[in-house]
Amino acid sequence: MSLTQAGKDLPYTLPFTERLSKSIEYLGFKARSHSAITAYDYVAGVLSEQQKYVMYREMFPKEWKRSKASLYRRGYYRKYSERVNELINLVNDKCFPLLEFAYDDPESEFDQFAIPPLNVDLCCEEIYFENLHISYAAALIFYFPDDTWAFLNHRFKLSKGEFPEIGSDPHPNVWNPKSCSPFGELLRLVDHSTGNPWLDSNYCQTADWYSWDREAIEELTKEYRAANEIFERLRDLDEMIEADPKKMLRALIKFWNSGEHPDLGLSGSSATQIRSSGNEIYEESHRST
Amino acid sequence: MNCESPLEILISETEKVNPAILLAEEFMRRDSADLLSTDDIHRAEETLDLGRSEIETTRRQIAAFERSAARPSEGLPTGF
Repeated sequence: MSLTQAGKDLPYTLPFTERLSKSIEYLGFKARSHSAITAYDYVAGVLSEQQKYVMYREMFPKEWKRSKASLYRRGYYRKYSERVNELINLVNDKCFPLLEFAYDDPESEFDQFAIPPLNVDLCCEEIYFENLHISYAAALIFYFPDDTWAFLNHRFKLSKGEFPEIGSDPHPNVWNPKSCSPFGELLRLVDHSTGNPWLDSNYCQTADWYSWDREAIEELTKEYRAANEIFERLRDLDEMIEADPKKMLRALIKFWNSGEHPDLGLSGSSATQIRSSGNEIYEESHRST
Repeated sequence: MNCESPLEILISETEKVNPAILLAEEFMRRDSADLLSTDDIHRAEETLDLGRSEIETTRRQIAAFERSAARPSEGLPTGF
Protein backbone atom coordinates (compact mmCIF):
# COMPACT_ATOMS: atom_id res chain seq x y z
CA MET A 1 0.00 0.00 0.00
CA SER A 2 1.44 3.44 -0.83
CA LEU A 3 0.49 7.09 -0.86
CA THR A 4 1.35 9.50 -3.62
CA GLN A 5 2.65 12.88 -2.60
CA ALA A 6 4.03 15.41 -5.07
CA GLY A 7 4.33 12.70 -7.68
CA LYS A 8 6.36 10.39 -5.45
CA ASP A 9 5.23 7.11 -3.98
CA LEU A 10 5.61 7.18 -0.23
CA PRO A 11 5.33 4.04 1.87
CA TYR A 12 2.02 3.88 3.67
CA THR A 13 2.31 3.94 7.45
CA LEU A 14 -0.47 2.86 9.75
CA PRO A 15 -1.90 5.50 12.08
CA PHE A 16 -0.25 5.58 15.51
CA THR A 17 -3.19 3.92 17.32
CA GLU A 18 -3.16 1.06 14.82
CA ARG A 19 0.60 0.60 15.18
CA LEU A 20 0.19 0.63 18.94
CA SER A 21 -2.60 -1.98 18.79
CA LYS A 22 -0.53 -4.10 16.44
CA SER A 23 2.51 -3.86 18.76
CA ILE A 24 0.44 -4.78 21.80
CA GLU A 25 -0.94 -7.79 19.96
CA TYR A 26 2.57 -8.81 18.91
CA LEU A 27 3.90 -8.48 22.46
CA GLY A 28 0.99 -10.52 23.78
CA PHE A 29 1.72 -13.18 21.19
CA LYS A 30 5.43 -13.32 22.09
CA ALA A 31 4.69 -13.33 25.82
CA ARG A 32 2.40 -16.35 25.53
CA SER A 33 3.77 -19.84 25.50
CA HIS A 34 5.08 -20.11 21.97
CA SER A 35 3.77 -23.62 21.45
CA ALA A 36 2.62 -25.20 18.22
CA ILE A 37 -0.97 -25.26 19.48
CA THR A 38 -0.96 -21.53 20.26
CA ALA A 39 0.60 -20.79 16.88
CA TYR A 40 -1.90 -23.05 15.12
CA ASP A 41 -4.83 -21.27 16.79
CA TYR A 42 -3.35 -17.91 15.90
CA VAL A 43 -2.85 -18.76 12.21
CA ALA A 44 -6.36 -20.24 12.01
CA GLY A 45 -7.68 -16.99 13.57
CA VAL A 46 -5.77 -14.80 11.10
CA LEU A 47 -7.02 -16.86 8.20
CA SER A 48 -10.61 -16.65 9.38
CA GLU A 49 -10.36 -12.89 9.92
CA GLN A 50 -8.68 -12.32 6.57
CA GLN A 51 -11.46 -14.19 4.81
CA LYS A 52 -13.93 -11.85 6.50
CA TYR A 53 -11.94 -8.79 5.40
CA VAL A 54 -11.99 -10.03 1.81
CA MET A 55 -15.73 -10.56 2.13
CA TYR A 56 -16.18 -7.07 3.61
CA ARG A 57 -14.18 -5.43 0.81
CA GLU A 58 -16.05 -7.31 -1.91
CA MET A 59 -19.54 -6.90 -0.51
CA PHE A 60 -19.30 -3.37 0.85
CA PRO A 61 -16.44 -1.66 -1.02
CA LYS A 62 -17.58 1.87 -0.19
CA GLU A 63 -17.79 1.17 3.53
CA TRP A 64 -14.48 -0.71 3.46
CA LYS A 65 -12.75 2.23 1.81
CA ARG A 66 -13.90 4.77 4.33
CA SER A 67 -13.68 2.52 7.39
CA LYS A 68 -11.38 3.56 10.21
CA ALA A 69 -12.22 0.59 12.43
CA SER A 70 -9.13 -1.14 13.77
CA LEU A 71 -7.90 -4.38 12.28
CA TYR A 72 -6.22 -5.27 15.58
CA ARG A 73 -8.33 -4.06 18.51
CA ARG A 74 -11.12 -6.37 19.59
CA GLY A 75 -14.66 -5.09 18.99
CA TYR A 76 -17.93 -5.58 20.93
CA TYR A 77 -17.93 -9.20 19.84
CA ARG A 78 -14.61 -9.89 21.41
CA LYS A 79 -13.62 -12.79 19.22
CA TYR A 80 -13.38 -10.40 16.28
CA SER A 81 -11.54 -7.20 15.41
CA GLU A 82 -13.39 -3.89 15.26
CA ARG A 83 -13.34 -4.17 11.46
CA VAL A 84 -15.01 -7.57 11.47
CA ASN A 85 -17.53 -6.23 13.99
CA GLU A 86 -18.30 -3.52 11.46
CA LEU A 87 -18.96 -6.21 8.82
CA ILE A 88 -21.25 -8.08 11.21
CA ASN A 89 -23.27 -4.90 11.77
CA LEU A 90 -23.38 -4.14 8.04
CA VAL A 91 -24.81 -7.58 7.32
CA ASN A 92 -27.36 -6.98 10.10
CA ASP A 93 -28.31 -3.54 8.73
CA LYS A 94 -28.26 -4.20 5.00
CA CYS A 95 -28.85 -7.92 4.52
CA PHE A 96 -30.96 -9.56 7.21
CA PRO A 97 -31.56 -9.46 10.98
CA LEU A 98 -28.48 -11.38 12.01
CA LEU A 99 -28.25 -9.94 15.51
CA GLU A 100 -31.87 -10.40 16.57
CA PHE A 101 -31.37 -14.01 17.44
CA ALA A 102 -29.83 -13.73 20.92
CA TYR A 103 -26.59 -12.22 19.74
CA ASP A 104 -26.35 -9.62 22.49
CA ASP A 105 -23.61 -11.62 24.15
CA PRO A 106 -20.12 -10.18 23.49
CA GLU A 107 -18.81 -13.74 23.48
CA SER A 108 -21.00 -14.67 20.49
CA GLU A 109 -19.35 -16.35 17.53
CA PHE A 110 -20.52 -15.95 13.97
CA ASP A 111 -18.49 -18.50 12.07
CA GLN A 112 -21.61 -20.63 12.38
CA PHE A 113 -24.90 -18.81 12.92
CA ALA A 114 -28.64 -19.44 13.02
CA ILE A 115 -31.46 -17.24 11.73
CA PRO A 116 -34.69 -16.27 13.50
CA PRO A 117 -37.93 -17.68 12.00
CA LEU A 118 -40.15 -15.05 10.34
CA ASN A 119 -43.25 -17.20 10.06
CA VAL A 120 -45.88 -17.68 12.76
CA ASP A 121 -44.96 -20.49 15.11
CA LEU A 122 -48.06 -22.69 14.87
CA CYS A 123 -46.42 -25.50 16.76
CA CYS A 124 -46.34 -24.39 20.37
CA GLU A 125 -47.24 -20.73 20.60
CA GLU A 126 -50.74 -19.44 21.18
CA ILE A 127 -52.23 -18.00 17.98
CA TYR A 128 -53.40 -14.41 18.17
CA PHE A 129 -55.64 -14.20 15.10
CA GLU A 130 -56.09 -10.45 15.43
CA ASN A 131 -52.37 -9.94 14.91
CA LEU A 132 -52.20 -11.97 11.70
CA HIS A 133 -52.81 -10.95 8.11
CA ILE A 134 -56.49 -11.70 7.59
CA SER A 135 -55.63 -14.01 4.67
CA TYR A 136 -53.19 -15.94 6.87
CA ALA A 137 -55.78 -16.18 9.63
CA ALA A 138 -58.43 -17.39 7.16
CA ALA A 139 -56.12 -20.10 5.81
CA LEU A 140 -55.88 -21.55 9.29
CA ILE A 141 -59.35 -23.11 8.79
CA PHE A 142 -57.48 -26.06 7.30
CA TYR A 143 -55.25 -26.50 10.33
CA PHE A 144 -57.13 -25.20 13.38
CA PRO A 145 -60.77 -25.21 12.17
CA ASP A 146 -62.55 -24.61 15.47
CA ASP A 147 -60.53 -21.58 16.55
CA THR A 148 -60.44 -20.17 13.03
CA TRP A 149 -64.19 -20.46 12.41
CA ALA A 150 -64.77 -18.82 15.78
CA PHE A 151 -62.53 -15.96 14.70
CA LEU A 152 -64.17 -15.67 11.26
CA ASN A 153 -67.59 -15.71 12.84
CA HIS A 154 -66.60 -12.96 15.23
CA ARG A 155 -64.95 -10.90 12.48
CA PHE A 156 -67.23 -11.44 9.47
CA LYS A 157 -70.25 -13.26 10.88
CA LEU A 158 -69.37 -16.32 8.78
CA SER A 159 -70.11 -19.84 9.96
CA LYS A 160 -68.82 -23.20 8.86
CA GLY A 161 -72.26 -24.41 7.71
CA GLU A 162 -72.37 -21.82 4.94
CA PHE A 163 -69.40 -23.37 3.16
CA PRO A 164 -68.58 -26.64 1.39
CA GLU A 165 -67.04 -29.48 3.38
CA ILE A 166 -63.27 -29.19 3.63
CA GLY A 167 -61.33 -32.23 2.41
CA SER A 168 -59.04 -33.85 4.92
CA ASP A 169 -56.12 -33.55 2.51
CA PRO A 170 -55.48 -30.75 0.05
CA HIS A 171 -55.39 -31.27 -3.70
CA PRO A 172 -51.76 -31.86 -4.87
CA ASN A 173 -51.90 -28.61 -6.89
CA VAL A 174 -51.82 -26.72 -3.60
CA TRP A 175 -48.16 -27.62 -3.14
CA ASN A 176 -47.14 -26.91 -6.72
CA PRO A 177 -45.19 -23.61 -6.71
CA LYS A 178 -45.32 -23.50 -10.51
CA SER A 179 -49.06 -22.89 -10.37
CA CYS A 180 -48.30 -19.24 -9.43
CA SER A 181 -51.49 -19.17 -7.41
CA PRO A 182 -51.69 -16.62 -4.59
CA PHE A 183 -53.78 -19.17 -2.67
CA GLY A 184 -51.06 -21.76 -3.19
CA GLU A 185 -48.44 -19.35 -1.93
CA LEU A 186 -50.61 -18.54 1.08
CA LEU A 187 -51.19 -22.20 1.94
CA ARG A 188 -47.53 -23.11 1.53
CA LEU A 189 -46.69 -20.20 3.82
CA VAL A 190 -49.12 -21.38 6.50
CA ASP A 191 -47.88 -24.94 6.06
CA HIS A 192 -44.25 -23.81 6.46
CA SER A 193 -43.38 -25.50 3.18
CA THR A 194 -42.29 -22.59 1.01
CA GLY A 195 -38.71 -23.77 0.58
CA ASN A 196 -37.56 -20.48 2.14
CA PRO A 197 -35.50 -21.00 5.34
CA TRP A 198 -36.88 -17.81 6.94
CA LEU A 199 -40.45 -19.07 6.54
CA ASP A 200 -40.16 -22.80 7.03
CA SER A 201 -38.38 -22.80 10.38
CA ASN A 202 -39.87 -22.37 13.81
CA TYR A 203 -38.62 -22.17 17.37
CA CYS A 204 -39.62 -25.74 18.14
CA GLN A 205 -37.21 -27.40 15.76
CA THR A 206 -33.45 -27.46 15.90
CA ALA A 207 -32.10 -24.44 14.08
CA ASP A 208 -30.13 -24.83 10.87
CA TRP A 209 -26.62 -23.46 11.12
CA TYR A 210 -25.04 -21.47 8.36
CA SER A 211 -21.37 -20.87 7.66
CA TRP A 212 -20.14 -17.31 7.59
CA ASP A 213 -19.20 -17.04 3.93
CA ARG A 214 -20.27 -14.82 1.08
CA GLU A 215 -22.37 -17.46 -0.62
CA ALA A 216 -24.43 -18.18 2.51
CA ILE A 217 -24.87 -14.47 3.35
CA GLU A 218 -26.01 -13.63 -0.18
CA GLU A 219 -28.37 -16.58 -0.37
CA LEU A 220 -29.93 -15.75 3.00
CA THR A 221 -30.25 -12.09 1.98
CA LYS A 222 -32.08 -13.09 -1.18
CA GLU A 223 -34.36 -15.44 0.74
CA TYR A 224 -35.02 -12.81 3.40
CA ARG A 225 -36.17 -10.37 0.75
CA ALA A 226 -38.31 -13.03 -0.90
CA ALA A 227 -39.87 -13.88 2.48
CA ASN A 228 -40.81 -10.25 3.10
CA GLU A 229 -42.23 -9.96 -0.37
CA ILE A 230 -44.47 -12.95 0.28
CA PHE A 231 -45.85 -11.16 3.35
CA GLU A 232 -46.25 -7.98 1.30
CA ARG A 233 -48.26 -9.86 -1.32
CA LEU A 234 -50.67 -11.08 1.35
CA ARG A 235 -51.98 -7.52 1.47
CA ASP A 236 -53.70 -8.02 -1.91
CA LEU A 237 -55.49 -11.08 -0.59
CA ASP A 238 -56.27 -9.26 2.67
CA GLU A 239 -57.99 -6.47 0.79
CA MET A 240 -60.04 -8.89 -1.27
CA ILE A 241 -61.11 -10.86 1.79
CA GLU A 242 -62.07 -7.66 3.60
CA ALA A 243 -64.13 -6.65 0.54
CA ASP A 244 -65.93 -9.96 0.10
CA PRO A 245 -65.02 -12.50 2.78
CA LYS A 246 -67.62 -15.09 1.80
CA LYS A 247 -66.62 -15.22 -1.86
CA MET A 248 -62.94 -15.38 -1.06
CA LEU A 249 -63.31 -18.07 1.56
CA ARG A 250 -65.37 -20.19 -0.85
CA ALA A 251 -62.65 -19.77 -3.46
CA LEU A 252 -59.97 -20.72 -0.95
CA ILE A 253 -61.84 -23.87 0.11
CA LYS A 254 -62.43 -24.76 -3.54
CA PHE A 255 -58.73 -24.39 -4.21
CA TRP A 256 -57.90 -26.65 -1.24
CA ASN A 257 -60.39 -29.30 -2.35
CA SER A 258 -59.92 -29.25 -6.14
CA GLY A 259 -56.71 -27.35 -6.84
CA GLU A 260 -58.69 -25.01 -9.10
CA HIS A 261 -57.95 -21.36 -8.75
CA PRO A 262 -60.80 -19.04 -9.70
CA ASP A 263 -59.97 -15.86 -11.55
CA LEU A 264 -59.88 -13.27 -8.80
CA GLY A 265 -57.89 -10.75 -10.75
CA LEU A 266 -54.81 -11.78 -8.80
CA SER A 267 -53.52 -14.91 -10.43
CA GLY A 268 -50.33 -14.35 -12.33
CA SER A 269 -49.92 -10.65 -11.70
CA SER A 270 -48.67 -10.74 -8.17
CA ALA A 271 -47.74 -14.38 -8.18
CA THR A 272 -45.29 -14.15 -11.04
CA GLN A 273 -43.36 -11.60 -9.03
CA ILE A 274 -42.76 -14.16 -6.34
CA ARG A 275 -39.45 -15.37 -7.56
CA SER A 276 -38.46 -12.42 -9.66
CA SER A 277 -37.23 -10.21 -6.85
CA GLY A 278 -33.77 -8.90 -7.42
CA ASN A 279 -30.81 -9.19 -5.14
CA GLU A 280 -29.49 -5.66 -5.27
CA ILE A 281 -28.47 -5.38 -1.64
CA TYR A 282 -25.04 -4.08 -2.38
CA GLU A 283 -26.01 -2.08 -5.40
CA GLU A 284 -25.75 1.22 -3.62
CA SER A 285 -22.33 0.41 -2.27
CA HIS A 286 -21.00 -0.72 -5.63
CA ARG A 287 -22.57 2.12 -7.55
CA SER A 288 -20.66 4.74 -5.63
CA THR A 289 -17.24 3.14 -6.02
CA MET B 1 4.60 -54.07 12.81
CA ASN B 2 7.05 -51.47 14.03
CA CYS B 3 9.12 -52.98 16.86
CA GLU B 4 10.88 -49.78 17.80
CA SER B 5 10.32 -48.45 21.29
CA PRO B 6 8.68 -45.02 21.68
CA LEU B 7 12.08 -43.64 22.70
CA GLU B 8 13.71 -45.01 19.56
CA ILE B 9 10.90 -43.55 17.44
CA LEU B 10 11.37 -40.18 19.08
CA ILE B 11 15.17 -40.23 18.62
CA SER B 12 14.78 -41.15 14.96
CA GLU B 13 12.45 -38.24 14.24
CA THR B 14 13.91 -35.25 12.42
CA GLU B 15 14.22 -32.24 14.64
CA LYS B 16 12.14 -29.37 13.27
CA VAL B 17 9.87 -26.53 14.26
CA ASN B 18 6.14 -26.91 13.68
CA PRO B 19 5.41 -24.89 10.51
CA ALA B 20 2.44 -23.21 12.21
CA ILE B 21 4.90 -21.48 14.57
CA LEU B 22 6.91 -20.11 11.67
CA LEU B 23 3.79 -18.94 9.82
CA ALA B 24 2.35 -17.37 12.98
CA GLU B 25 5.55 -15.32 13.36
CA GLU B 26 5.33 -14.27 9.71
CA PHE B 27 1.67 -13.29 10.02
CA MET B 28 2.36 -11.36 13.21
CA ARG B 29 4.79 -9.12 11.38
CA ARG B 30 2.57 -8.35 8.42
CA ASP B 31 -0.02 -5.61 8.11
CA SER B 32 -3.58 -6.92 8.41
CA ALA B 33 -4.79 -4.31 5.94
CA ASP B 34 -2.75 -6.04 3.22
CA LEU B 35 -5.23 -8.77 2.55
CA LEU B 36 -3.88 -12.24 1.93
CA SER B 37 -3.78 -13.35 -1.68
CA THR B 38 -5.38 -16.59 -2.80
CA ASP B 39 -1.91 -18.17 -2.89
CA ASP B 40 -1.22 -16.98 0.67
CA ILE B 41 -4.51 -18.44 1.88
CA HIS B 42 -3.77 -21.71 0.12
CA ARG B 43 -0.29 -21.85 1.65
CA ALA B 44 -1.71 -21.05 5.10
CA GLU B 45 -4.33 -23.80 4.79
CA GLU B 46 -1.65 -26.30 3.80
CA THR B 47 0.52 -25.19 6.70
CA LEU B 48 -2.41 -25.56 9.08
CA ASP B 49 -2.99 -29.13 7.86
CA LEU B 50 0.67 -29.93 8.31
CA GLY B 51 0.81 -28.19 11.69
CA ARG B 52 -2.26 -30.05 12.93
CA SER B 53 -0.85 -33.36 11.74
CA GLU B 54 2.41 -32.70 13.63
CA ILE B 55 0.53 -31.69 16.78
CA GLU B 56 -1.46 -34.93 16.60
CA THR B 57 1.69 -36.98 16.03
CA THR B 58 3.28 -35.39 19.08
CA ARG B 59 0.18 -36.07 21.14
CA ARG B 60 0.19 -39.71 20.09
CA GLN B 61 3.86 -40.03 21.00
CA ILE B 62 3.28 -38.46 24.41
CA ALA B 63 0.38 -40.87 24.99
CA ALA B 64 2.62 -43.79 23.93
CA PHE B 65 5.27 -42.64 26.38
CA GLU B 66 2.73 -42.45 29.17
CA ARG B 67 1.70 -46.02 28.46
CA SER B 68 5.31 -47.26 28.39
CA ALA B 69 6.43 -49.34 31.37
CA ALA B 70 9.05 -47.70 33.54
CA ARG B 71 12.52 -49.23 33.22
CA PRO B 72 15.60 -48.44 35.28
CA SER B 73 18.21 -46.51 33.35
CA GLU B 74 21.60 -48.06 32.79
CA GLY B 75 23.31 -44.87 33.84
CA LEU B 76 22.49 -41.90 36.03
CA PRO B 77 21.50 -38.81 34.05
CA THR B 78 23.67 -35.77 34.69
CA GLY B 79 22.44 -33.79 37.64
CA PHE B 80 21.11 -36.76 39.64
